[in-house]
Amino acid sequence: MESLSETQWDVLIEGTGLRQSLLALALSRSGKKILHVDQNGYYGDAEAAFSLQEADEWVEQVKGDSPTGTFRNASLWKPDEEASKEERKLSFSRAYTLTLSPQIIYTRSQLLTQLVSSKVYRQLEFQAVGNWWIYTLPEAEAVSESDQKAILKRLPNGREDIFEDESIENRAKRSLMKFLKFVVNYEEHPEIWQPHAESSLSDFLASQFQLSPYLQTLIAALTLSLDKPEETSVGYALPRIERHLTSIGVFGPGFGAVLPKWGGGAEISQVACRAGAVGGGSYVLGTGIKTVQEKGEDQPIEVELSNGETVKTKYLARGSESKDDTTPSPRALSKIIAVVSSPFASLFESSVEGSPLAAVSVVVFPPNTLTTDTIPHTHPVYIMVHSSETGECPAGQCVLYATTLYSPTSKALLDAALQALLNSAKDIGDAKLLYTLSYEQQGPASHPSLDLAFNDQVLEDVAQEWDAIMGEGVDPATFMQFEDRPGMNDDDNEGLASAN
Amino acid sequence: MASDESLPALKILMIGPSGAGKSALLIRYCDDQFDSESSTATIGVDFKVKKLSVHGTAYRLNLLDTAGQERFRTLSNSYYRGAHGVILVYDISNRPSFQAMERWFEEAETNAMPGAILYLVGNKMDKASSSRVVRYEEGEELARRHGCGFCEVSAKTRDNVKKPFVDIVDQIVRKPELLKASSRRSGTVALVEPEGTGSICAC
Repeated sequence: MESLSETQWDVLIEGTGLRQSLLALALSRSGKKILHVDQNGYYGDAEAAFSLQEADEWVEQVKGDSPTGTFRNASLWKPDEEASKEERKLSFSRAYTLTLSPQIIYTRSQLLTQLVSSKVYRQLEFQAVGNWWIYTLPEAEAVSESDQKAILKRLPNGREDIFEDESIENRAKRSLMKFLKFVVNYEEHPEIWQPHAESSLSDFLASQFQLSPYLQTLIAALTLSLDKPEETSVGYALPRIERHLTSIGVFGPGFGAVLPKWGGGAEISQVACRAGAVGGGSYVLGTGIKTVQEKGEDQPIEVELSNGETVKTKYLARGSESKDDTTPSPRALSKIIAVVSSPFASLFESSVEGSPLAAVSVVVFPPNTLTTDTIPHTHPVYIMVHSSETGECPAGQCVLYATTLYSPTSKALLDAALQALLNSAKDIGDAKLLYTLSYEQQGPASHPSLDLAFNDQVLEDVAQEWDAIMGEGVDPATFMQFEDRPGMNDDDNEGLASAN
Repeated sequence: MASDESLPALKILMIGPSGAGKSALLIRYCDDQFDSESSTATIGVDFKVKKLSVHGTAYRLNLLDTAGQERFRTLSNSYYRGAHGVILVYDISNRPSFQAMERWFEEAETNAMPGAILYLVGNKMDKASSSRVVRYEEGEELARRHGCGFCEVSAKTRDNVKKPFVDIVDQIVRKPELLKASSRRSGTVALVEPEGTGSICAC
């Protein structure tokens, strides 16, 4: 190994999670000498993606309880080898890319704008997040308690869809249209919502727009809020509903969000790190930071790495988790990554002409739709269904990413949601679970990593750190604005075909 | 140019240990330049584009260099995505660089898509008479064990520099299923209008 200590580094970046990788990308044309390290032997940190074998190793690391780590209580389940039929088995380890960062990216996110302006979008393949489904009892049908059977219903995709939806009666449709018209311009009408900013979304929809509980549920689903609807505030919800509605159609009909193939955020962080390397950055994995000594102003910071080397750097960009923080994180999520033996084709069928084939569908289970005697269902459950088009699993299978707020029964609730999805998707026959990886993820309550959609706050953090590193006189307008790299030579090669 | 954009594109990667001359080979092949002074890791080269005709059909080669990420063996999985071919380069005057090839083959075989073509290259043939430490037969034997093509080249003297590229493209285009496997599907979302000047397509 070459020595890292001989170089006087300008910037040392700790961790290759999405935020730090985007920082490396932002600095990739700065001419600064950059050392980018990660204590893990893989890229992505809390946004990594794994083969089955890598997932096994990860579970070993985070299987215990941990009050302050990002992940805890990971466990694996696979059916008995003997019991599973040949055609419905897990494939080989590398056939899977299970991601810790399946966050959907709304088409109006600045992340996409910046991936384009920084030119790294060329190394990414974006796929559409198509249908949204809600697990519900149709409002119009009056059914006695005992016969209640929830079904998967596709959320209306725009106004025409709402008009054609026969399960919504006409007066309710008018109320709904009135709300939708308001919400896409909510910022221009503070008088309508600001007095209610701290109130619950459900109350607001009922009192100001006379929406029925069923329509309140549909609207709440669009927020991707992990809180109870009655605890989801208007001030939180409206921007998210607006973002959802105004994102549809930006890059084509029928979808409002995208996801990079091969593991979403994990792929972005790898591509961003390569851009950092192309710009001259040095990459070392399996190497963390042990101690940091600040020698005072104008003196380089001395950093002892876990491989025993001590390096000097002018600026140190720490990872997301402060290692000294011993206060338990205030919010925890329960998550399951599951592989199923069905392509779930009906979930991805397009209802809009000209829309690309979606690779991701969102299924929402509103509170109380999964309640049993032993499992209370108080918080919404979300399942992101990824088809094999995402490259995350072999053809004929799907990867399901289920999330809900952590509680002592949240894992059982996620299991129930997975089972309900398997039972209700009509085309799957006797689809089986082939693999489940359950874990908990924790962090500060409003932290972007706990959001189900990419949160642009990450970009503001990156821009701020970039600004601090670049120092006075840097033009903020140049952030992530790069020309194509040279190398696109148009030289024609004389045809030097080998014979035959 | 515009017409080049429409040519079938082949993605070919260069891998191998630091100092084997991957970038030198790439730059000699694409630009016919060689800088004997430049021994430092490559900066600023993302990929090179070269047009190549085989059997009368023109292809657009996208040739990717490791960007120094081979130094600490930190090439990412994403580097290998969609690659039709991988050229593995060692230095015939450096025994450890040859010994490292087994691990590079392993990395290529696990990360590249199934059926991708591998090709082994012994670089710095110009040193053959003065400081060769890896015999031609050893390289040939290693390539045979991995079922791939092999040749020795010199980026410095131009000897054989076109051969690895022509040979690997020739093998790739004989496997139509390989070209099909990597072609973008109807599900791909374009963030930028194909004819656009780089501006994001926001409505």
